[in-house]
Amino acid sequence: MKNLVFLFLLFSMSMYAQKAEDLISKINSKFETIKDYSADAYIKADIPMLKILPNAAVIYFKKKDKFKIESKGITVLPKQGFTELNHFLTKKNDYIAVLGDSLVIRDRKTVLVNIIPNNSGGEMVLAKIWIDVKDFIIMRSQITTKSNGTILIDYSYGDQIKYGLPSEVKFEIDVKKFKIPKSVSGDINSKKKEDPKKKNKTKGTITISLSNYKINTGLKDSIFTEKK
Amino acid sequence: METEKVIEVEHISKSFGQFEAVKDVSFTVSKGDVFGFLGPNGAGKSTTIRCLLSLIKPDSGKISMFGQSLAQQRKGILANIGSIIEKPDFYKYLTAHKNLEIFARISGKHISNKEIDKMLDFVGLLDRSNHKVKGFSHGMKQRLGIAQTLLHNPELIILDEPTTGLDPQGIIEIRNLILRLKNEQHKTILLSSHQLSEIELIANRMVIINQGRSIVEGSVKELLNSEEMVVRFQVEDAPKASEILRERSVMVDLLDQMSFEVLLNKNQIPQINEILVSQQIGVHVIEPKRKLEDYFIKTIQA
Amino acid sequence: MLLKNTYNELLKIVSKPRSYLGFGALTLLIGIILFAMKADGKNIVSMVTASFEQTLVFNGDIVNGNLVAFIILQMLIVHIPLLIALVTGDLISGEAAMGTIRMLASKPITRSQIVLSKFFAGAIYTFLITIWMGFLALIVSQFIFGTGDLIVLNSDGLVIIPEDDVMWRFLLGFCVAFLSLLTVATLSICLSAFAENSIGPIVSTMSIIIVFTIIGTLEVSAFDAIKPYLFTTHMVAWRSYFSDQIPYAQIYFSIFVLVAHIAVLLSITLFKFNKKDITS
Repeated sequence: MKNLVFLFLLFSMSMYAQKAEDLISKINSKFETIKDYSADAYIKADIPMLKILPNAAVIYFKKKDKFKIESKGITVLPKQGFTELNHFLTKKNDYIAVLGDSLVIRDRKTVLVNIIPNNSGGEMVLAKIWIDVKDFIIMRSQITTKSNGTILIDYSYGDQIKYGLPSEVKFEIDVKKFKIPKSVSGDINSKKKEDPKKKNKTKGTITISLSNYKINTGLKDSIFTEKK
Repeated sequence: METEKVIEVEHISKSFGQFEAVKDVSFTVSKGDVFGFLGPNGAGKSTTIRCLLSLIKPDSGKISMFGQSLAQQRKGILANIGSIIEKPDFYKYLTAHKNLEIFARISGKHISNKEIDKMLDFVGLLDRSNHKVKGFSHGMKQRLGIAQTLLHNPELIILDEPTTGLDPQGIIEIRNLILRLKNEQHKTILLSSHQLSEIELIANRMVIINQGRSIVEGSVKELLNSEEMVVRFQVEDAPKASEILRERSVMVDLLDQMSFEVLLNKNQIPQINEILVSQQIGVHVIEPKRKLEDYFIKTIQA
Repeated sequence: MLLKNTYNELLKIVSKPRSYLGFGALTLLIGIILFAMKADGKNIVSMVTASFEQTLVFNGDIVNGNLVAFIILQMLIVHIPLLIALVTGDLISGEAAMGTIRMLASKPITRSQIVLSKFFAGAIYTFLITIWMGFLALIVSQFIFGTGDLIVLNSDGLVIIPEDDVMWRFLLGFCVAFLSLLTVATLSICLSAFAENSIGPIVSTMSIIIVFTIIGTLEVSAFDAIKPYLFTTHMVAWRSYFSDQIPYAQIYFSIFVLVAHIAVLLSITLFKFNKKDITS
């Protein structure tokens, strides 16, 4: 009897695993239709200890992993999570996908897929992705990295849903590690009473609205190597 | 006709802490005077002159110049004075011409570049006009100082020890210059010195100042009167000689066994000599001494 | 007469070799900073942004002319007072040491006019030094590094100021910086009225700045009451223009304190110089 239960468990787990891999391959197949794209981006950042006004930029992507952002001024992006996830998901041998609970995100039914990298030497420790089971798009992801903490990303979709390209990406990042080297700041006079709420705030968000997608226009490699 | 008074100093005193530099000094300088301000070093000459130029405020007393109070009409009075105090100091990093430009600009009168050149020519520095003062000798600086003094054509010229540190040639040059200013341009000149000979050569009136006090003031001629003088006699028997002279109503100042002094007129010397010789008193030396010089030397020695 | 003597004073400043020391030192210092930023600017800046860059990526030219100008201003605001005091601390005492004060004070110009013309000339010199610093820091570094958004590290975090929003901040910042340097100049002129050599006022000015700065930075509650009234506390007021939300009230207070210092120091100088017996 015991063996039977074990066998069942093993079976059901592999079934779930099978289903998780199916979901990912659906995502990957959408991703495969994209060779390159460019889009207009509008980046808003709300990060404690970092004041930056919203800024417009143009982003460029080309397979496998060429990425570039072009803006007039300074823009801030999360270090991880913008294009790496899709790229990582295509390397099927590098991870195990395990199905988790289902969850409704913004009126869409999603299931959680846990991505556990095989290689413990990589930067990524764990990724959770919530996949819309109807349109096979990633609605949310949570990537935990060794050095940068956890980044939570929410995706919204518009015109480019068939490519799985979002119209808005909202990152929530850990900022508790931010430190101001006081000796460098030299700002000795502004000893303002610090806002206690602000001080305890350890999460920041960066919201990128994407529009005017131009997909598969055959972007040249040189775009990514040019400085600016 | 009463002569116009250019400087009137009335009872000025000035102390620096415990040190009384000037005590109740008074004197008057009239228009056209070359007025000698005579005194040993540290007598209070410089302090008094600085008071005249409003560099130092006297603790008490009154200074009037050109008939106006210095305290009330400082600017107007200073516009009419040219001065060198102690030594002529200039901006070493500027040329002679630029230095004069600077002082001309605040002299209260409009002075053109041409006039500056003329003045440099007058003191013989025109060829050094564009040289920096840094390289000037003391004599050249003194001449530039004179140029600076005369630049705005002042009525009164105040010179504090103008010949100090100059070589004999330089001293003569300055002396002649002062005489020219007096004779040709009819300037009133106040001149301080610690040397009687210098004052005697140039000045017509003078005041002697010592230890902060004015001791005597008057015409140089009167003060250095050649008629009346102190004469020192060295004789065989001074007490006996003085007794003989006193009998003849001559005032005698017995100094020691060998010498005495008498106040005499020049032409009385042979008479005194004759009296002594006729009374069998051997006369070894007759030494005429001017009253003022004697007095001045005594005060300095004291 | 005031105008004429101000012109005279400027002429003297222009002719003194030491007046160019400030310009030379500034040019050299800024040259060194520009070279360092050109050679290794990214690394220098990443010292500041390192903790952010573990999580975030900054895109765009962080090391641009505006940032370099800001760094230059911040580094030099400590040293420029010395360069200014070198000239202004000599304005009265230098003439006493040289003996020319006798000549000057015996001319038909009031003592107050002498002090005020020296103050104006000193102010113009300070202004020219500030302009020169601004020219080298802003114009030259923008020429070398180009322009761009300015990333500023304040004690409450990084602020990124858009390029279009930078220039007026620099302009106003320079105005306040000038005011604080003018305070230093006035202090040294004031001390100069008390001395008869030029080294004394220069050293005293720097000593006062150092002592006040130390008092200002010490976290001792006993000093808290006086800190807001030390002029050194307000010497960095120019920086406030680079805050996310400009603390205008604080800047106005700084301007008030600096102007009050200038007025008081100038009054002391006038009083002292008018009373002074010139014996040198």
